[in-house]
Amino acid sequence: MSDFKGLTEAVIKGDIQTAVAETQTALDAGANLQDILDKGLIAAMDQVGEKFSTGQMFVPQMLRSAKTMQECMKLIKPLFQEDELATKGKVVIGTVRQDLHDIGKNLVAMMMEGAGFAITDLGVDVSPKDFTQKAQEVGADIVAMSALLSTTMPAMRETIEALQEAGIRDKVKVMIGGAPVTENFASEIKADSYAPDAGSAVIAAKKLLSIS
Amino acid sequence: MPMRLPPYRPLSPEDVRKIDQTSRRILERVGIRILEQSHLNILKAAGAIIDQSDQKVRFEAAWLDEILARAPSQFILYSRDGKNDVHLGKGKVYFANGGRVFRILDMGTGGYRLTMLRDVAHTATLVHCLDNISLYIIACQAHDLQPQHYHLNDFYHALNHTTKHVMGGCDSREGAEQMWELSVFIAGEEEELREKPFVSVITNPISPLTIDGNTLDILSFCCSKSIPVTCAPAPISGATAPATLAGTLCQMHAEALAGVAICQVFSPGAKVLYGAVPTTMDLRHMEYTMSSVEMAIMNGAAVQLAMIYDFPIYASGGVTEAKRPDIQSGCEKTFSNLMVAMNGADLIHLAAGMLDSGNSISYEQYVIDNEIIGMINRILSGISVNEGTLGFGVIEKVGPGGNYVMEDHTIEYMKEEFFYPDLSVRCNFDIWEERGRPSMLSRANDLVDEILDDGREGLLDTDLILEIKKKFPGIQNL
Ligand code: B1M
Repeated sequence: MSDFKGLTEAVIKGDIQTAVAETQTALDAGANLQDILDKGLIAAMDQVGEKFSTGQMFVPQMLRSAKTMQECMKLIKPLFQEDELATKGKVVIGTVRQDLHDIGKNLVAMMMEGAGFAITDLGVDVSPKDFTQKAQEVGADIVAMSALLSTTMPAMRETIEALQEAGIRDKVKVMIGGAPVTENFASEIKADSYAPDAGSAVIAAKKLLSIS
Repeated sequence: MPMRLPPYRPLSPEDVRKIDQTSRRILERVGIRILEQSHLNILKAAGAIIDQSDQKVRFEAAWLDEILARAPSQFILYSRDGKNDVHLGKGKVYFANGGRVFRILDMGTGGYRLTMLRDVAHTATLVHCLDNISLYIIACQAHDLQPQHYHLNDFYHALNHTTKHVMGGCDSREGAEQMWELSVFIAGEEEELREKPFVSVITNPISPLTIDGNTLDILSFCCSKSIPVTCAPAPISGATAPATLAGTLCQMHAEALAGVAICQVFSPGAKVLYGAVPTTMDLRHMEYTMSSVEMAIMNGAAVQLAMIYDFPIYASGGVTEAKRPDIQSGCEKTFSNLMVAMNGADLIHLAAGMLDSGNSISYEQYVIDNEIIGMINRILSGISVNEGTLGFGVIEKVGPGGNYVMEDHTIEYMKEEFFYPDLSVRCNFDIWEERGRPSMLSRANDLVDEILDDGREGLLDTDLILEIKKKFPGIQNL
């Protein structure tokens, strides 16, 4: 079977049920794994990216397509060798201590997940200690913090200090964002990266880990 | 001039009923998540249904009605000098500025900077001097203050720069207590403040359908002291609420009713405003959009929803995504302020000063918005039709071909019939050139300088100021 039209269409539509069924059919028919991935799923996501950048698709649709692709990947992943299909990177994300705003953080998490990162979302009001412990526990590549209150921004600095104290600062990259956060602030507290919105957060994360 | 019948209603009576019923179903079946056991216990003791496993409180219809019936349909947000009392629930529309931004567009430098304590004082002075803004909301974060005496300071400097009612958010119960102790001291007696509260407190649930324990601590403290409050939901269509206006309204109405109900459990008869801050997301790129035209429609509809229960409403209008006072800010602000006002909201907050999706303010925007609100007030007062205004007598007297410039009738009516703007440029072209080509913005800038140069500081009595500073050493000077 060389035609993945049904699969690509389902991914573009964000129709999880159909896409998963199409993937299963392809597998059952003995299709080449790399083909399902390249000509089916990735080809679909390329079209999604194209449609998004020309304004034909909106963010919720794009996120749905990414989610659909992930569900299909669940079927394919176990069949690949361990190192053939590494995830892009492990990200521990949360809104900093005493801050309850989570809409922006959730968007960043969704977009990163859609782009293939493995996300551990700690939610809101996350203490420096919790960020650090979780980062150690999962072996995070990136610690991503969001703050929406100018008054909770200092918790970002404290979290970086906590990572330092735990001896893992050089093992993780730190990314920050949120309406009052600025590029200047990021360099002031020695974060590795700042992103002004969810789309650029994905680009920044890829850059941090030198992946395309 | 008295307000006439509101001329625009986004919802039909049938729509209102359907939304209300859906909200009540949400409260009964889905419930509100409350993240603090002690509050769940209080609600349980009062008769609410508690789902212990997922920390949810549910409101059975008959119980909800019984609790809501305790809420007052009218009360007053007092000014300190009695000149600007805000009479809620009397069919009059009042406007307030917006609160707690972190950034200001500084026209002196043309750039943005973090807000400071002096900006609290200056914005309070502006509101004090601007006739169409009826009460002051603590406008910004004072980044030069330490957290421990935060609300002692922002309320003190606000109260020292305006005699109008002062409303503000408090970060914690301790913060609310500081604010209350200061206010009692200024009032003279606790009873005095209880009778005529000149301060009030803003809180918010977390949409969808969640209320934080800290928020409930603040509410329960304020209600016990008879300090008016609101617990105003801020659902965002397409992000934290359904991507339909009706769906967002159903969820918002449920959250707002829950806020009112919980306050009535804390203190029966508590002075609480039904709150509404529904906004939207631009789903093309997920840009938060506070000032969409749908926001204006939903806030208008929220007034209709509050009215079914006869609760005074704290609604929203006057926001913009624009980063400077410009064409976009002018039209976005006008749409929402006008629409919400035409629906008869008791209090429209965010109505003045805001820029940049609620993240920034500018002093100039305060005076510009004051003028927009002046025009809206003029629209609300409508066309007065009576024997005198019909003017048959003067029409007969002037007759065909004459003019009305010097007539008694003109002189009698000219002041009250028309709204006279301070900022709009109405001079002719040549004069405009002669005056250096002013614009609404340049004139706003001049007016701000004039008001702030006058420096109406020290509205509290000098002796009182000294006593306050002795009693509250945490107060910082400007
Ligand atoms: C890791 O790398 C990255 C990279 C990029 C990252 C990133 C991380 N994180 C974010 N980004 C970036 O990407 C995202 C997507 O493009 C973007 O995320 P954003 O989060 O910026 O954008 C979101 C998609 C949409 N934006 C939002 O969701 C925030 C909108 C505004 C209006 C806002 C909301 C909605 C709320 N609030 Co709050 N609130 C305001 C906000 C004003 C504003 N316009 O930002 C702000 C932030 N709030 C404020 C305040 C004061 C408060 N709020 C409070 C509460 C709330 C609600 C619960 C009502 C609600 C939050 C609901 C929720 N689930 O999050 C209270 C505090 C609660 C607490 N302890 O945290 C309270 C204190 C209110 C009170 N009662 O006094 C102000 C902050 C002032 C300051 N000092 O900084 C405020 C500017 C509004 C205002 N003028 O009052 C980018 O910033």
